[in-house]
Amino acid sequence: MATEEPRYYDLRHLVGTSTHIEIENGTIEAAGQSFADSAIVRALGSAGWGMVIIDNFSEAGDSGLKQAIADALALSRATGERVELADVQTGVLPVPAIKEDPREVSLEEKTQLLASIESAARLPGIVNTRAHYVESEGTFRFMDSSGNEYQYESLRSGYSILAVAEKGGEMQQARESEHSITGLNMRHKEGKAREAAERALLLLSAEPARGGTMHAILDPELGGVFAHEAIGHASEGDLVKEGVSVLKGMMGQQIASPVVTVVDDPTLPEFGFMPVDAEGSALKRTEIIRNGVLANYLHSRETLAVVGEGVAGHARADGSSFPIVRMSNTFIENGDATMDEILEGCKTGILLKGSRGGQVDPGRGVFQFNAEYGYLIVDGEQRGMVRDVSLSGDILSTMHNIALCGKDRKMTPGYCGKGGQSVPVTDGAPHLLLKNAVVGGRHA
Amino acid sequence: MHNVTDYTDLVETVLAKAAREADEAEVYLSVSDSVSLELRRSQVGEAEKAVSWAMGIRTITDGHIGASLTESPARWEDCLRAALASGRIADSQAWNGLPEPVQFSREIDTFDSTLIPDAGTATDLITALCNAAEGGEGEIAGGGVSLGRGSSLIANTHGVFYTRESTSASASLEVINGTSTGYEFDHVTYLRDLNTERVAKEAMFFADYWAGAGDIESCTADIVLTPSALSQLIGGILMPALSGRNVHAGRSHLADKKGEPCMDSSFVLYDDPYVGKGATRWDADGVATRKLDFIKDGTVQSFAYDLRTAYRYGETSTGSAVRSGAGGAPAVGVHCLKLDARRDNVREEKAICTHGLIGAHTANTITGDFSVELSNAAWVENGEYGAPIRSAMLSGNLFAMLADIAGAGEEKRELGRMTLPEVRFNNLHVIGKEQ
Repeated sequence: MATEEPRYYDLRHLVGTSTHIEIENGTIEAAGQSFADSAIVRALGSAGWGMVIIDNFSEAGDSGLKQAIADALALSRATGERVELADVQTGVLPVPAIKEDPREVSLEEKTQLLASIESAARLPGIVNTRAHYVESEGTFRFMDSSGNEYQYESLRSGYSILAVAEKGGEMQQARESEHSITGLNMRHKEGKAREAAERALLLLSAEPARGGTMHAILDPELGGVFAHEAIGHASEGDLVKEGVSVLKGMMGQQIASPVVTVVDDPTLPEFGFMPVDAEGSALKRTEIIRNGVLANYLHSRETLAVVGEGVAGHARADGSSFPIVRMSNTFIENGDATMDEILEGCKTGILLKGSRGGQVDPGRGVFQFNAEYGYLIVDGEQRGMVRDVSLSGDILSTMHNIALCGKDRKMTPGYCGKGGQSVPVTDGAPHLLLKNAVVGGRHA
Repeated sequence: MHNVTDYTDLVETVLAKAAREADEAEVYLSVSDSVSLELRRSQVGEAEKAVSWAMGIRTITDGHIGASLTESPARWEDCLRAALASGRIADSQAWNGLPEPVQFSREIDTFDSTLIPDAGTATDLITALCNAAEGGEGEIAGGGVSLGRGSSLIANTHGVFYTRESTSASASLEVINGTSTGYEFDHVTYLRDLNTERVAKEAMFFADYWAGAGDIESCTADIVLTPSALSQLIGGILMPALSGRNVHAGRSHLADKKGEPCMDSSFVLYDDPYVGKGATRWDADGVATRKLDFIKDGTVQSFAYDLRTAYRYGETSTGSAVRSGAGGAPAVGVHCLKLDARRDNVREEKAICTHGLIGAHTANTITGDFSVELSNAAWVENGEYGAPIRSAMLSGNLFAMLADIAGAGEEKRELGRMTLPEVRFNNLHVIGKEQ
């Protein structure tokens, strides 16, 4: 029997170090490093993907790679779906310059910087303060059977500060965080800690939101989550391919208000940046919606070959996990409305600020996300603070209800989970006016 | 197939070196092999094998605790150095020593010796899964089967040397019918217990039944949370509130409620670490596990402590350490959580029953307030499904809900580290989308 050769194979190997510091209520709980060394080898046999994920791959050598390719090929025999890969451009972007390299700052100094942030949040009335610093650095090596071979360094770092306020048995919390690919960002950040603490204290006297259908203004952070949850996920080519996206078959259709343009741009030097995607494809800014019309899906090589109507270079992987179609830096483009026009357009409703995250069922086309807090809008003016306010809706109807886009887009870094993998992303938007939004709250 | 016992020499070498540089040291080792097949629609599109190896080292010197983790046996000395360096920076705390070895009187049942992670077995299971999904209107969109076999080891400089073996088999299926989606899964220790037929039938039922769903007006209604929906709120809100660390650090709603009736008088919550998929005789500190009553008769009985938190606050470890901390360090958790309340026919009187919650992770984890989108929700009455609901939001406060439980169903379901029935809650606010 002739030995079967893979139609294609690739290797993605990460060797890296992660640093973690945790300080709670003035006590340094942990400050240390851990070491990763893991690889994934994928091979295409006559049908689909076989793949092997191996920890401690540095020890494997050439014979280990050959064995992994053979194992992956053998596994691929269990597949039935014939996978084809689209031809794509390859190439690696330069990694943005690092302003202050955290690897050159001692663990002791980083701990002191985080301690200064943590202590700044300890205002009167604050009963708990908790600060984290996370830094991950590593070298990714990629090679494939087509002769492509890349190696690049990845460095991400950031901090978060959580403050809990208590009064008369009632507790509220608020959080601030900043993450970056351009180096250490913990110097002179005590103001962010005070912001979190002051907001937690204010939330103690905020009213629970009243639920119902109303006009809503989304701040840039929440607007970014809206772009990510309501549009971004449904435009991912793997979901379109499997038939679990409401945007399937809607290319070229007006799916949003004409003021809406949504972009995913992995080339931007933001937290979701990557120099090359996880299967070696070159990156490209991708307009998902242009002036309200669905313009592109996000793709891997595989989903581009099957679905088309989009752009490859959006395959991402968490460490040595299997690459899947993901967003990177996703945002709603600026419009031309002023904040006064947005407030006037809202008239009576709610201003939602900050984000506690969100989720979408792209097949049903239903999304949900939660603001950290909000303010009532009465006669076009900002009034009392409210808490625990969320928003849900149908993708296809809600996108038509974006009446105004501001011109003050901001990007907010964070993490996105899909398929058990978590990857760094940035979301952004200007202030948005959303008409007839379904707002969740404990009282009618 | 590798096993932690293949690395006994390495573990002893690490401990011997660590003992020369720290007062105490501990090594935690985890290895596993798994094979999984993923469906793209009704065909297998991916076959994956994973070979995992991870070692965590913890050192303690004068109450300074350091920890590090590596995926490479060759880097054990780097890992030990990093653990020692970490300990030099961490603040000192009250510390009365790592545990001494004990004899265990009971066995646990977490290992199926017949379960071998191989593609052939996985192929048979996924074929059965897809066959069982035939006959409905919906189409398979995705899903998969996974088989795993692993072992873990904890050893310390006081002579503790415990090992545990475990196996797992899981199956999931996602079905779509128009814009109606259905998802179901099963996850078991023994291969023979994996019920691919139930997974397929349930996923297909959800997608098909909800294809005709309509909107409702906003209302106040009793809500039945199925185990999968309830587990999201219990895991995200209630369990953090019962962590001793959160209690003492000022981050728990229940901190001052120990001994006070604050929930429905029939509500029971306990960790039975000997029965369930998470069963273990020793926790992530190497402390012997034991049954832990969190809530009995609606009253908070105890909080969960790992060794570190217990020493710091003058408490006793409840054997509740799990490996979820940064750098592979132990943190407070649960092993096999069991929840119950007064038995009732929870679907007899009219209520809204929901199988899933979208956005449960956005809840306010301290106050318990949440506002989520329902998934696969329907009116139920006389034990039967009524009109399916396309989309609605549920808002409430979990702690207030647990004080106003209408009843719990007979049948229980094990989901990860929790076993729970469906529970009916009185008078909750639902925001409908009927215009």
